[in-house]
Amino acid sequence: MPLKFDLSKCTGCKLCQLACSSSHYEVFNPEKARLKMIHEYNDDGIRIASKSCILCKKCEKVCPVGAITNNGRWMIVDEAKCIGCGTCVDNCPTKIIFLNEKKSTICDLCGGEPQCIEWCPKGVISLKERKGASA
Amino acid sequence: MNSLTGKILKVDLSSGQISDMKTPVEWVDLYTGQKGLGSRILMEDVSPATEPYSPENKVVLTTSVMGGTIVACSSKLAITTKSPLSGTISDGSVGGHTGAELKYAGFDAVDIKGKADKLSYLFITDEKVEIRDAASLKGLGTFAVDAKLKEEIGDEELKILAIGPAGENLVPYSCISSEKYRQLGRGGIAAVMGSKNLKAIAIRGKLDVCVNDLKGLLKYSKEVTERDEVTADDNEIYDLGTTCLVDYSQESGLLPTRNFQEGTFEDAEQINGQAFKDVRKNKKGCFSCGIACGNYVEEGDTSVEGPEYETIVLGGSSIGNGSRKKLIEFNSICDDLGLDTISAGGTIAYMMEATQKGVHDFDIRFGEMDKALNMLEKIANRDGIGDEAALGSKAMSEKYGGEDFAIQVKGLELPGYDPRGSWAMGIAYVTAPRGGCHMSSYPIAEEAWGELDPFTFEGKGKLVADMQNSQFCKFSMGVCDFWPIDDETLGRLFELSYGGEWPADKVYKTGERVFNLQRMFNIMAGFDRTEDKLPGRFHKELLKAGPPKDIAYTKEAFDAAMDEYYAYRGWDERGRPTVEKLVELGIEPKFIEAYKAVL
Repeated sequence: MPLKFDLSKCTGCKLCQLACSSSHYEVFNPEKARLKMIHEYNDDGIRIASKSCILCKKCEKVCPVGAITNNGRWMIVDEAKCIGCGTCVDNCPTKIIFLNEKKSTICDLCGGEPQCIEWCPKGVISLKERKGASA
Repeated sequence: MNSLTGKILKVDLSSGQISDMKTPVEWVDLYTGQKGLGSRILMEDVSPATEPYSPENKVVLTTSVMGGTIVACSSKLAITTKSPLSGTISDGSVGGHTGAELKYAGFDAVDIKGKADKLSYLFITDEKVEIRDAASLKGLGTFAVDAKLKEEIGDEELKILAIGPAGENLVPYSCISSEKYRQLGRGGIAAVMGSKNLKAIAIRGKLDVCVNDLKGLLKYSKEVTERDEVTADDNEIYDLGTTCLVDYSQESGLLPTRNFQEGTFEDAEQINGQAFKDVRKNKKGCFSCGIACGNYVEEGDTSVEGPEYETIVLGGSSIGNGSRKKLIEFNSICDDLGLDTISAGGTIAYMMEATQKGVHDFDIRFGEMDKALNMLEKIANRDGIGDEAALGSKAMSEKYGGEDFAIQVKGLELPGYDPRGSWAMGIAYVTAPRGGCHMSSYPIAEEAWGELDPFTFEGKGKLVADMQNSQFCKFSMGVCDFWPIDDETLGRLFELSYGGEWPADKVYKTGERVFNLQRMFNIMAGFDRTEDKLPGRFHKELLKAGPPKDIAYTKEAFDAAMDEYYAYRGWDERGRPTVEKLVELGIEPKFIEAYKAVL
């Protein structure tokens, strides 16, 4: 169940990224979040975009040591196996995987209770139900 | 562990030396962050007698102690200097994301002095700090600087503070643009940057911000933001932002119109909250804030984040402009040139009235918006009459006459509330440390828009002083005005982020201490009660419509209210803090000794 975003509601406050970094690392740092919101002015007006794990499982396929698996709802990194080679980072189509202290870091939906959804004040983020799943 | 980074970046533009110092914990304990810490850092080396454009003056950036954390509305950035417009200490603050970015770059503050030998910009990241050549940015507007630096450095998330031509040309009411569309620095902080040959500051940080008690903070922060509806979608401030105030002011008969000659504007509906909502493209929130008061609007070829209420008044009703499109243009041109919309609009309004009254013909009349927009360019470029208009309404009225209708206090043009319609606002204006400003206290919320009688001074000296102390604490500890937070909640959030014990009375006392520290600076710079005065118009002329119709706002009653204000503050009859008061507040002895020498 990847995250989905209603970008028309996003105001760029970054609370989602703060909730993410604090729940995983006990620090506030938007750069250590496992999702990313862009909300920046530019010459064309304003650019609003999101980056997050789409559960494509490409990282699992390319991992040379089998450190990445999934449970059907989110990706799971076995840190004991991970060698920090960065192959998953290089191959992630949404560029959301990063290495933290030389270990692959991927959204784990906070174990089923995503803190980004909990903290978003505007209801931008929700869980995308799988095709065929009943409501 | 606490929410400070523990470091202050020090930059000497004259020598090119870059260093850092440990953030003194005793300064934070006394003055906290932002406004308070900025004042303290400035006063460490800058004498109140310093010439504002001299290399000895400083530009001090200070973050909030809670900045970068998840606490709502807590990541503003303050910049403090000695103002070239008012000659007072002057600090401005800006929301958005720049304050948080500086924390993530590893600094609580940036302390800049000296003068670069050529136009430069400062590049601050957690990996390196550099003074870089800015020759290619010379003369550019702030929008172009933002785009160019992002492109050159290759990072769309860079946070950029930039000055425009107005700052480079030392217009004493030039302001700084942050992230393109947010502004700070009434009283000419951008001109002080210009005098230092500092065109911009680009910031990007990727370090952690930690807190004293993370679990406690997450729980309490969520609880109080929900309790205080800081996240509520149906909140008027979320929906309209400050533009909602146009209707309030109009109904209260205090909407400055044609340079404060009137308090109601016939075209108010053309430029009110709904009018701007009609051309809104997006909402924009500041870092960690669920309110998102910002409105990104677009009309014709012009887009801007805003206009905020004060701009709507000073670029709208107060210069006789009822055109939304022209107002958006006024806002955008000021932002790009790096001009404070309030002082620019106030000065143009003075020129229009001088022309109307035959005091002096500046060839510009109320409602002539093409001439007004052109005047902004002339001011920023110091071109022709613009060279004089650049000095503000006070300086112009001293030369050309009409001092009663130069609507300023201590040289700083007044924002969008006629004090005849909400009497305590007059006390707020004359006692605000940086001059005519609404940010030191906002008693209108209790008076014209609240439960108190707006047409009496009874108890208003105390009201303003109490509000100022709470505001100064809020703006030092670092929460935005838009969260009507109480001192107890603020103290608890501070404890969870920074540590220590911060009961409500200590929070309040901190605000009072910072307020008195700024007043001391001004007294030492030569100010006293003599300058705590309103333009003659407010005492000599009556408003003719709405609730304040024909109610006199006399000088005698105002002076009596000021007596009450000074007495409540523990100041003498000349408006000077007594030594006993400063000792009681715990102001550091070295400042008290210097202060005693000028009494």
